[in-house]
Amino acid sequence: MPAMHINGVTIDDTFAEAFPMKATRLIITAHTLQWAEHAALSLTGFATSVIACGCEAGIEGRLDASVTPDGRPGISVLVFSMSGKELAKQVERRVGQCVLTCPTTAVFAGLDEGEPIALGKNLRFFGDGWQISKVLGEKRFWRIPVMDGEFVCEETTAVIKCVGGGNLLLLAADTDAALRAAETAVAAIRRLPNVIMPFPGGVVRSGSKIGSRYSPMSPSTNDAFSPSLTPLTRTELTDDVRCVMEIVIDGLSAGDVAAAMRDGIASVVELGPREGALRISAGNYGGKLGPFHFHLHQLATVGGAG
Amino acid sequence: MKALRLRVRVAASQGVRVDLRGVVPETMCLLEQDAVASFEVGHGNRQVPLGSLFDVLIDDHDAAEPTLTLEGDLRCIDRIGWRMKEGALQVSGDAGDYVGCGMAGGRLTASGNVGDFAASEMSGGQLRIQGNCGDFAAASLPGSIDGMRGGMVVIGGDAGARLADRMRRGTLLVSGNAGDYAASRMVAGTLAIAGTCGAHLAYGMRRGTVLCLGSHPEASSTFAATHHDFRVFWSLLRRHLAAAGGVFAELPATTPARFVGDIAADGKGELLWFE
Repeated sequence: MPAMHINGVTIDDTFAEAFPMKATRLIITAHTLQWAEHAALSLTGFATSVIACGCEAGIEGRLDASVTPDGRPGISVLVFSMSGKELAKQVERRVGQCVLTCPTTAVFAGLDEGEPIALGKNLRFFGDGWQISKVLGEKRFWRIPVMDGEFVCEETTAVIKCVGGGNLLLLAADTDAALRAAETAVAAIRRLPNVIMPFPGGVVRSGSKIGSRYSPMSPSTNDAFSPSLTPLTRTELTDDVRCVMEIVIDGLSAGDVAAAMRDGIASVVELGPREGALRISAGNYGGKLGPFHFHLHQLATVGGAG
Repeated sequence: MKALRLRVRVAASQGVRVDLRGVVPETMCLLEQDAVASFEVGHGNRQVPLGSLFDVLIDDHDAAEPTLTLEGDLRCIDRIGWRMKEGALQVSGDAGDYVGCGMAGGRLTASGNVGDFAASEMSGGQLRIQGNCGDFAAASLPGSIDGMRGGMVVIGGDAGARLADRMRRGTLLVSGNAGDYAASRMVAGTLAIAGTCGAHLAYGMRRGTVLCLGSHPEASSTFAATHHDFRVFWSLLRRHLAAAGGVFAELPATTPARFVGDIAADGKGELLWFE
């Protein structure tokens, strides 16, 4: 199938290849939204890639006081990892260091169905015997005495199977245009539930391939999309492309990742090649590694949001 | 699944206590009508067929869940819903002792007054008593360590003495008044009383929450006030209690006064009331 052109933007006949992961959602509430945000930013810090961070995490959205378990403003956070065990470790560490410590916060499970992992179950020992358990209905909460009153957290949070590594490559004429395209796509995708973009600002400039000349297992720079290497390697770039940005998307289901990629493509297409990207592509490994394939042409023809 | 109705025959029990253990929806609704009638129950110190005390009627052959209805003068009938696990049990009229005792699941509704030890050692399910209940509701049976340890109980009327004695888990709501020694030796769980409380409230309480909405005795010398911000917990609690409806549906958003105790026991329990 030849490349597709919409509004002057070329869409490659390729697909993004994504992997199964494990995820949970946490609801962090606080006295004000600002303090919930401080905790959420801290918890999702250094969580760009499972390659070295242990998990990929991001803020899913802000929650109005009317929809949180304790009636205070909150932030919903998604945390993704390669295994349930690693996810449990990351959640416990991050909640213990970033939420328990943050003034006025409380933390609750954001998913009802799924395998339970510890949330407050082990953090309670911070209470040194003064902690109080409270079972309300089907849920157990812990009240841990702290200097601003008490830290309330749910005992467990649910883990579900999900999809990580959905992506878009935005190929542009220069840095300004590439950033504009990436920022537009990020803004469009941020409006959707159930997905996060774990990299700084939602964008990654160091897209990688699997393997390296130094160590077969390590990821290394995606030379086929690096504009400095066009004369030296089997490049995927044409001469007019001088800057490439990637958006990586983790979602609670394949449908969520597809919806995010669809809205991202639609927003970049709408921006047009003069302001944004000349071409949209995606990263894959020939379909051999990940079971989820998101074909750009299918997503582009289904259209934008909705 | 059948929906069964057991109608007690007037004076059939002749004032002798009837022990209805085993007559629970999940068992009875699987039996044929004859088998239900010949099911043996305790009558004083004898075993008699259920059919000699009750008329056995079938309301529905295809009910969505096992459903059992008891009606008539049930004041001599004890252990209604004893250790029931699922289904619905409806009691029309006043009932004897041990209603819902040891209940682990399902829904039991009693429209009248019930005797002592209602909901004692209950571990799950929902129990609603529209009238009053006797002493030791949700308490432990003599010799046992724990009282109620799960589920939800709503008492529409008044409760007698020793309410929630040694209660460990679950939620117990009283719309009326509670007698003396409510929440005595309470291990944990949640007790809310809308009316007045008798003397020696929460005597020897170790953990758990007691919320008093009506008049109550002063906190005893083994309870001490705390003055910290516990709005998060209060918000979770009031939302949980609101599910029971009635006076508990709209509890104030402002936090009540809080006293910890009984310091003579473990001291991790709390009394909450609005001053």
